[in-house]
Amino acid sequence: MTAEIRTSDGELLSVKLKKVERRRRTTAFLLAAPLLFFIVFAYVIPIFQMLGRSIDNAEMNSFLTETHEVMQTWDGSEMPGEDVTSTFYYELKTAVENKYHGKIATRLNYEKGGFTSLIKKTSRKLKNFDENANFLDQFIDVHKKWGDIEYWQALKRGTDAYHFRKYLTTFDYEQKFDGSIERIPEKLRINVTLWLRTIFVAVGVTFCCFILAYPISHLLSVLPTRYSNLLMICVLLPFWTSLLVRTSSWMVLLQKQGVLNDTLVSLGFVADESRLELMYNMTGTFIAMTQILLPFMVLPLYSVMKTISPSLMRAATSMGATPFHAFRKIYFPLTYAGISAGSILVFVLAIGYYITPALVGGAKGILISNRIAYHMQQSLDWSLATAMATVLLIAVLVVYWLYNKIVGIDNMRLG
Amino acid sequence: MSRLTKLISLAALLVAPSMATAAEVNVVSWGGAYTESQKLGYGDPYQEMSGVQVNWIDYSGGLSEIKAQVESGAITWDIIDVYARDTIIGCDEGLFVEFDFDNDFPAGVNGMKASDDFFAPMPSDCAVGNILYSWNYAYNTDNVNFDGSYPDSMEDFFNPSKYPGVRSIYSSAMSNLEFALVADGVPASDVYDYMEDNGIDRALDKLTELCTHPDGGCIFWSAGAQPPEQLVSGEALMATGWNGRHFNAIVNEGSPMKMVWDGQILDYEYFVLVKGGPNQEEAMKALQYFTSSEGLAGSAKHIAYAPFRISSLDVIMADEPWFYSEQAGAVEIMPHMPTAPANTENYVLMNPEWYADNNTEINDAWEAWKANL
Repeated sequence: MTAEIRTSDGELLSVKLKKVERRRRTTAFLLAAPLLFFIVFAYVIPIFQMLGRSIDNAEMNSFLTETHEVMQTWDGSEMPGEDVTSTFYYELKTAVENKYHGKIATRLNYEKGGFTSLIKKTSRKLKNFDENANFLDQFIDVHKKWGDIEYWQALKRGTDAYHFRKYLTTFDYEQKFDGSIERIPEKLRINVTLWLRTIFVAVGVTFCCFILAYPISHLLSVLPTRYSNLLMICVLLPFWTSLLVRTSSWMVLLQKQGVLNDTLVSLGFVADESRLELMYNMTGTFIAMTQILLPFMVLPLYSVMKTISPSLMRAATSMGATPFHAFRKIYFPLTYAGISAGSILVFVLAIGYYITPALVGGAKGILISNRIAYHMQQSLDWSLATAMATVLLIAVLVVYWLYNKIVGIDNMRLG
Repeated sequence: MSRLTKLISLAALLVAPSMATAAEVNVVSWGGAYTESQKLGYGDPYQEMSGVQVNWIDYSGGLSEIKAQVESGAITWDIIDVYARDTIIGCDEGLFVEFDFDNDFPAGVNGMKASDDFFAPMPSDCAVGNILYSWNYAYNTDNVNFDGSYPDSMEDFFNPSKYPGVRSIYSSAMSNLEFALVADGVPASDVYDYMEDNGIDRALDKLTELCTHPDGGCIFWSAGAQPPEQLVSGEALMATGWNGRHFNAIVNEGSPMKMVWDGQILDYEYFVLVKGGPNQEEAMKALQYFTSSEGLAGSAKHIAYAPFRISSLDVIMADEPWFYSEQAGAVEIMPHMPTAPANTENYVLMNPEWYADNNTEINDAWEAWKANL
């Protein structure tokens, strides 16, 4: 029988050890707690709230609760009966008295265009209604749109407490009243174009960054320290400048009467009347975004290249490989980790960019993030904005998942 | 002294300075030369007279910011300078204070009661008139792409074959739809009748033609100071804009620019009082001064926008040359007003109700058009 080992104060050693271990863990946790707390409250909770907003229609539902309930028994195949129209009349009257009919109009207008003017005109005329006469006829008298069954159908759907229709809008689809899903009229399609453009810009900028960063990173990794430090400062310099300053500098350089065009004209490369259009188009977006995101590609590449021993290339050449062959077979594969880390960083940052493209890209610089900002700030359709943001978030997570599958997140080298 | 009393007196000390300062009123407007004219014209005089500090804040229009303030319960704006459309929308949504017009606003210097002294009836109960201004277009007379002939009509703006070069237009639908229809041959006075009847599509087609033309092309401005800048820098050959900003660039900055008044859109601008703003009572008093005969005439001393009160024009005409700036000296302002007879030979009168009622449809169509350009 083994004797129980005790410490000098008489406690069991195993218990004491566990206590010490627990105390250390608690200390470690407490040290990390502020950060954890911050992340949960400033990041995780808002994200889930945001996801909720994209399907939540509870406020609208609360404005017209009774109308919504009465409409549950109406199947929408013919004009609604007096039970529906009278309930709607009384609820709209309450809304006008309490000044939230404007909100109802705006929300219903997201369901079907034309509702803003319809609700507003009806609200103004509501005081002339005869509460003993037929309500539907009076609604139609005020505005002929009330005679169109689609508006009543939209009213029924628009007061649902929850719905997923904003996700359809995100891809330019709409759900008809009978449940079928169709594309919206061609002239109003906008989001698919912007999704494709956003992906095109993000992939393109990532590629441009890769092409430019690869030689720079290589040079950085082989130069003696005193030169490479200087070069490194040049790479990092843009990091220390505000985004808006850098973007405005590009505007000064690229505009028609800008530095670049002036130089080209004075050197005689282009005529004064046909100055190059370098801004307010895709070219401007690519140039400015590539420069701004370049350091995010250089740093991971540099950190990987720094660890590649020069003797590997020498060994390959000594065994008869041409420089190109040695590069392709030895050096390039060794930099995969850096390339993938840099690419994912640049891609993820580029997919959410919107200030720079909006400033230098003109109409072609509108990306999906601009639409999200537009719906947040201008149209105030927050549920559509959050639905789009959710799709964007999922897209980024998918890219991350793919990366983890193909490269493995443990191989990520960020310098 | 107990710890509690100490704490309380410390708190009082911290709060006291903010209580001791005089009342403040936060006025939100469009920035640049326009805000400057408001500040010099009636903001500073009122501040001197009443001791209430008037702070000027810039914004680029729309109700989203004030809605966000109301929704979060942290309202910091008192008075906002808004489009007619937004006074209607904001009033319907209960964001602004409704006025009892003749009791809330003083009679004019000519003795007329307020509701008669203002040029036009207010678009909503929450609005008080401020200025009449114009959307027109201007060009840079020094631009090398003009060889001797200059544009003088709205059709010329939409004719890139005759005047090749980039056009700068407003980043929202407002003004662009009207200009396009006028250029497409719709009589200026009937523009909004056509809008109801497929006019948006027709206007957008006309704009597509201009913006995708190999000799044309469009860039978009969102702040009033941009069009003159883009004209001077040569970024745009012609630019639509607000006449006061063009006037400022021509008269005060000596820019080689000229305005074209054909097909101009005459528009009204209004003040609103935010409901539940930080200093609603003081703000109301300030607003009464701003929109008095002298107040409104005061801003015309610094920019070529017409005051909304008839009696303000009397004040100006009695004292011409009324406009004064250090760069230009004294200038007779009446001929530069958007309402001057020579400037109103062919004009559109803005219909804010059409915009208020159809806001979402117009914006959806416009944004989709812009993104697919």
